[in-house]
Amino acid sequence: MKHFAFGLTVSFTALTLAATAFAAGNHPETGEALAETQVFTYRVLDEHSSVDPQIVEDVSGSEIVRDLFEGLMNQDADGNLVPGVATDYEVSEGNDEYIFNLRADAKWSNGDPVTAHDFVFAWQRAADPATASPYSWYIELMSIQNGAQIIAGEMPPSELGVEAVDDLTLKVSLTQPLPYFPKMVTHATTFPSPKKVIEEHGAEWTKPENIVSNGAYMLTEHVPNERSVRERNPMYWDNDNTIIDKTVALVINDENTALARYKAGELNRTEIPTGQYPSLKAEFPNQATAFPRLCSYYYTYNLSDSGPEAFKDVRVRQALAYAIDRNVIVENVLQGGQFPAYTFTPGATAGFDVPDVDYAGLSQAERDAKAKELMAEAGYGPGGEKLEFDMLYNTSEAHQQIATVMSQMWKQKLGVEATLANLEWKVFLDTRGNQDFELARGAWCGDYNEASTFLDLVDSGSGYNDGKYSNEMVDQLLAEAKTSKDPSANYTKIEEIMSAEMPVIPIYHYTGSYMMSEDLRNWPVNNVEQNWYSKDLYFAAN
Amino acid sequence: MINFILRRLAIAIPTLLLLIVITFVLMYSAPGGPFTSERPLPPQVLANIEAKYGLNQPLWRQIVTYIWGIVTEFDFGPSFQYKDRTVNDVIAQGFPVTLTYGFLSFIVAVAVGVTLGVVAAIRQNTLIDYLAVGTSIGAQVLPNFVMAPILVLTFTLWLGWLPGGGWEGGKIEYLILPVIALSTSYMASIARITRSSMLEVLNSNFIRTARAKGIPERQIIIGHALKPSLLPVISYLGPTFVAMITGSVVIDVYFSTGGIGQMFVNSALSRDYSVMMGVTILMGGLTITFNLIVDILYAWIDPKIRL
Amino acid sequence: MLLDTHDVKELSANLAEMDEIKGRSLWADARNRFKRNRAAMVSTFILIGIVIFSFVGPYLAAWSNEEIDWSVLGKVKELGAPSWSNGHYFGTDDLGRDLFARVVQGTQISLMVGVVGALIAVLVGTTYGAVAGYFGGRIDSVMMRIVDILIAMPFMFVLILLLVVFGRSVFMLFVGVGLISWLDMSRIVRGQTLTIKNKEFVEAAQAMGVSHFKIIFRHIIPNLLGVVAVFATQLVPLMILTESFISFLGLGVQEPATSWGALINEGAATMQYGTLWQLLFPLAFFIVSLFCFFFIGDGLRDALDPKDR
Repeated sequence: MKHFAFGLTVSFTALTLAATAFAAGNHPETGEALAETQVFTYRVLDEHSSVDPQIVEDVSGSEIVRDLFEGLMNQDADGNLVPGVATDYEVSEGNDEYIFNLRADAKWSNGDPVTAHDFVFAWQRAADPATASPYSWYIELMSIQNGAQIIAGEMPPSELGVEAVDDLTLKVSLTQPLPYFPKMVTHATTFPSPKKVIEEHGAEWTKPENIVSNGAYMLTEHVPNERSVRERNPMYWDNDNTIIDKTVALVINDENTALARYKAGELNRTEIPTGQYPSLKAEFPNQATAFPRLCSYYYTYNLSDSGPEAFKDVRVRQALAYAIDRNVIVENVLQGGQFPAYTFTPGATAGFDVPDVDYAGLSQAERDAKAKELMAEAGYGPGGEKLEFDMLYNTSEAHQQIATVMSQMWKQKLGVEATLANLEWKVFLDTRGNQDFELARGAWCGDYNEASTFLDLVDSGSGYNDGKYSNEMVDQLLAEAKTSKDPSANYTKIEEIMSAEMPVIPIYHYTGSYMMSEDLRNWPVNNVEQNWYSKDLYFAAN
Repeated sequence: MINFILRRLAIAIPTLLLLIVITFVLMYSAPGGPFTSERPLPPQVLANIEAKYGLNQPLWRQIVTYIWGIVTEFDFGPSFQYKDRTVNDVIAQGFPVTLTYGFLSFIVAVAVGVTLGVVAAIRQNTLIDYLAVGTSIGAQVLPNFVMAPILVLTFTLWLGWLPGGGWEGGKIEYLILPVIALSTSYMASIARITRSSMLEVLNSNFIRTARAKGIPERQIIIGHALKPSLLPVISYLGPTFVAMITGSVVIDVYFSTGGIGQMFVNSALSRDYSVMMGVTILMGGLTITFNLIVDILYAWIDPKIRL
Repeated sequence: MLLDTHDVKELSANLAEMDEIKGRSLWADARNRFKRNRAAMVSTFILIGIVIFSFVGPYLAAWSNEEIDWSVLGKVKELGAPSWSNGHYFGTDDLGRDLFARVVQGTQISLMVGVVGALIAVLVGTTYGAVAGYFGGRIDSVMMRIVDILIAMPFMFVLILLLVVFGRSVFMLFVGVGLISWLDMSRIVRGQTLTIKNKEFVEAAQAMGVSHFKIIFRHIIPNLLGVVAVFATQLVPLMILTESFISFLGLGVQEPATSWGALINEGAATMQYGTLWQLLFPLAFFIVSLFCFFFIGDGLRDALDPKDR
């Protein structure tokens, strides 16, 4: 068995410093003077779906859950694994059995110790059809033994391949070797849940008056659609090193109002509306920030039988992709430091070598010329047939702007008539999922920091492959990558195939752009998944 | 009177039933369901969830179960979107909020609107009158989704007097902006109606008689003219109150009050069937009740009308 | 965003007190009196001006409503302000599209939604009310119970549902907006029909064996026209306001087409970023037009009301 231990030095310094903690009002590591009040207030767009770790499915809910509960592993500011409830883990030679060693001082907010049994309970609960977790498939994705059968109702949840060897040892058996398994336990679905409390209160257990959690914070107030408040959990094992006392999430639907309230000092963090980054950066250089995210914005062709004939011609697909001036979209429309995309996978993805796809190297004028040529060859444009299609996107100001700009580029450069069609979100998803479209917008954020989370979308068997692109070579490369030690060559190869066949038009890779209080420190800007923990943040004295 | 109320209540039941059926059918014919998501759920997972919420039953059966739950236990079911909560929770939280600022806006709209209308009528064709008429038409046509951000920018960002949103259990400083934004346009309508009906009454014979008798003008207006000239205002009140509550979505969006209007729009967009049904029924009930109250009030003020 | 039906009810009551309206003289009288109402006359001219503007505007605009001015895109705050030299008389929107062309086009849509929506409501409401009132008895009570039920529906909610279910289109806007506003109309028309149908000329027609259908359309409805006209002018601004609310919810017309509501909403969103013209131009058109409709509605009512004579 291989043994992995983490951050010994960190825990050591933490121990020695714990005694002196913040008596002097200074940060334990940097020595920076700390602000008097340590309350972090941020804006969320919508009310979160749940704070039950096994039920939560949205980003804003997961942010809260990561504060309230602690899983086996956490991420640091750069997205690297650091110990959570587990101090270290061992993995079998075959990579299909993991043993996590839990810390003895981890406690629930009611004082009970956190044990391996809590994890077993939580994971079984996630798989149990009776829980009806929208993330139960995650257990299957983790390849835990019998996971799939339990979800299908063919086996009882107790058969799940996870076992508490003793109170502090958790053993997981997998159906296949999974080198990145430990990365997966930073996900909310795998966080422990308190059996006693759930059994006592049922569905009501997540209400502030009932909830018991093991993270750095406790849920103390929740007014749906208005605010949720989490406060320091004195039982948390690392409470002495936690600086933020209280985190408040305010639901503010309108981003412009949110910005006004931020400027009025009511918030410490809010999203920057489309196109406002440059002027805000000029006005508030220390508050406007933008950093790369693991997300791709793209348009997908419908390549299924219901798709238009024109898109079956690779020249048309390429011509349309070439004629988009991504720099205009990124620099003049979005203006938030986004990256023009010529590959589907963002360059910021760990272990992904961006291939030299041919059209990325050309100037826009050259691309335009090439596009015209390709269109003419395919028999469209001047002298040929007029190409007309609908482009589908979901209702939103930003999507509409991008679609408008794209359609105008096509119209002016290629004489293509693209009709905008926006649909309300659920209708959009339904329409796209049924291949009832010609060209449709898509966006994808990585579930984990690895290229396969993106490229799986073009697997012909993927449920997310709405364009129904299918290429045996790609499928095979993806299958190999799953078990390969170093799959990055496969990913590069797939991107090359994609740029030749152009099943989707990559547009740009996201940045997160936020206004953040000047004295808020330690925001994990380098964590491309944006998994942040309130316990790692602090306010410096100004 | 009793007869009238009974008759109206008898209509209320089929109305609500029809509303439930229409909403159910519309809801289910909308593309996409509550669990349609960007990452389509594996069929097995979806089946588990649908089984939990009874969505695998035939439509008629769902309707019957739903109505039965309401009638027997006053249970509107669990929210599909907010999985920690039931519809009863959602409404119990959001409705008082909407009702509070809605009711306050209503009072403000009526009080200020009637006063403005009466003053304009008394001073007909003076500067005050023109000013009142002009501003009230202006206020009536200025959409509140323009007014709301103007208020936030002015009072929160520039002057820094009031918080730009939130509810905080309805503290006064959190109420002011929503109430202004919601009441203004209705206030303006009420002012216009009051003015025109006041003018009509002031020109009528009995007021002329009163004047001829030498009764002081003040007394004529308050004692004689006001009551009859409020009749048209009253018939306007029922729909006004309901429109305020249903139109509160703008307030919820801009001031993050967490009221029922935003919840409804949200639930419709995210296909949270149960919340959508719950709020629709609530609104239907409210509409019926308010129209009834207004009719009774009307009869009480206007002796010509028999119910 | 509510209709005040009191005026119309009053008017209809006053009109009903008269004997059969001698078509020409009533309308001629009304026209004269309307002409003497200065506010209403000025409003009429302004409104005619706006309508002409919406048709002539496209020929005056230097840009089309969907064309992007690439030189402005991304620098709207600096370069997008109204200017004669680059042809953006009203400035540009956030994407560098010409606001003048967009306002012109938005004016067309909004006015059309207002007029057509009001027309639908008036047609349906008048026919429905006249039929119910004329036939009376069980038909009447069933028809009016249906109206009672529909009026108790939370209209805004049903409208949102409809737009979600059927997708956005101008047609759905008409249906949605027209859906509710005919109810009041039908009640008023029914009330007046009840009085008219007992008048001698109707009884005479019935005695002569004229068909019910003919009586309704030849004798009853013409006598309702005054009420209908006033109601219609009040409905138009209501329709336009409703459309703007729907645009606010993001359920309005489809891009690149636009409407006043959509433009105002976009302008209001960017208010704090120094591009005020994006709000002010469409808002000015919107407010001025609604003012005009209000004054014309009031003027028409006063002109038609026999009691004020």
